[in-house]
Amino acid sequence: MSFREKSAWVMAALMAVTGLYYFSIVRSASQALGTTAPAAVAIVFVMLVVIGSIIAQVVLALTSPREASSPADERERLVTQRAGHWSGLLLATCAVTALGHFLVRGDGSMLFHLVMGSLIVSQIAEYAFQIALLRRSV
Amino acid sequence: MGRPPPITNRVRALREARAMSQAALGEAIGVTRQTIIAIEQGRYSPSLESAFRIARHFGVGLEEVFGWEAD
Repeated sequence: MSFREKSAWVMAALMAVTGLYYFSIVRSASQALGTTAPAAVAIVFVMLVVIGSIIAQVVLALTSPREASSPADERERLVTQRAGHWSGLLLATCAVTALGHFLVRGDGSMLFHLVMGSLIVSQIAEYAFQIALLRRSV
Repeated sequence: MGRPPPITNRVRALREARAMSQAALGEAIGVTRQTIIAIEQGRYSPSLESAFRIARHFGVGLEEVFGWEAD
């Protein structure tokens, strides 16, 4: 397994775990308040993702220092571009759906959480596309 | 993705004839071992620059390394 694929697996797992945590705190806060949780609950999630990403990248770099310091080659760059393109389409679709929900319900906090969810889902999808493309060799 | 490109190559034969590892060839032309594996298996067609680098590394012409499937 290449360094890029390992990195994509680790980051996808991190985003999935922290994303699930984010939705659990939004859900429990919404139930406790009797309305949609405020956007501020996302701060914990953002901090977790930033700290988790730094730790994951440091660990990956320590386990494969040579591969980590070398730039992506032509095939890996192509994979990154294609995965970014497809995840971008997914992000746009989810964001438009969230805006449609806002038009109907007019709930700004819900719009925030749905857009945050769109970012999480599209990021996980980007890593999944990267893994699939790296395995299929583009 | 999908159908493999109609470009054939003799990278594996040339590499093995020189008792060279995939990692060493990758390092010599500036790509990863995984990319060399993909090229050898015909699942990825390298850029023109990498194709020239491979041919020059083996000291042969481009057409001695790469070919079109129909030829």
